[in-house]
Amino acid sequence: MSLKRNVNLFSALRYKGYGPMLAYLLHRIAGIGLFIFLTTYILALAGVGFIYTLYANWLFQVLVLFCVLFHAINGLRITILDLWPNLIHYQRQVIRVEWFVFVAVYGFAVFVITRTALGG
Amino acid sequence: MATTKSRNLPLSKRGFNFETIMWFFTRLSALGIYAFVIVGVLGALIVSAQTGINLANLLRWAFLPNTTSGLFRDQPWIWALGKLMVTGFILLVSAHGVHGILEILDDYFSSPFMRRASRNAIIVFFLVANAIAIYVIWTSTFIGRR
Repeated sequence: MSLKRNVNLFSALRYKGYGPMLAYLLHRIAGIGLFIFLTTYILALAGVGFIYTLYANWLFQVLVLFCVLFHAINGLRITILDLWPNLIHYQRQVIRVEWFVFVAVYGFAVFVITRTALGG
Repeated sequence: MATTKSRNLPLSKRGFNFETIMWFFTRLSALGIYAFVIVGVLGALIVSAQTGINLANLLRWAFLPNTTSGLFRDQPWIWALGKLMVTGFILLVSAHGVHGILEILDDYFSSPFMRRASRNAIIVFFLVANAIAIYVIWTSTFIGRR
């Protein structure tokens, strides 16, 4: 129960964890983003009206979609590696596959959203 | 380059405590969320085949099934199924989410008092948020019988 944090923020930012570290950070940031989104979504359901104005903004939709897709695809990678631990040796290759899938799906989704938003 | 030992620890050696249960729950709930998404999108695809809706409406149908639609007005079981789907989805997502937030908080709070306080706060949030969500889902006409 007693965590001793000996790493300050500056050292943490200089840590060269590359792909796995980036995926870990983005997973947490996207997760927090989704948590905030879910909270505001429940508030909107409860009748707080101004939140719908925010949801209608296409930039917000692009941001939420990033959180949803990255968290979902990276979460699937984590689940697969946790349930089949021997695959951990191929972690970096799996992360490359994950980024390939993410860029393809997210790129298509952003294209559809922006085209609709810009009246294409 | 130094060789790194992988964390290849079988489940039987991890110990059966609260942390293990929650670790397992997080993975299983994630799989459950994927299942809900797949079922929702497949259901929406069936609807889209009958109505010719676009991609945006298809996704809306997947996560907020509009059972007031004339298409299903004569099929009351769709009403219950739609509400159960949304309720299950919200419960699973919020349980997965609050545990994720708790893991992040645990990384930054080291004292037993703060960890206990953050757990209590997150449990209260979970109960209140889900009470609001379930009330709205089962009483709204948006996803219900007109």
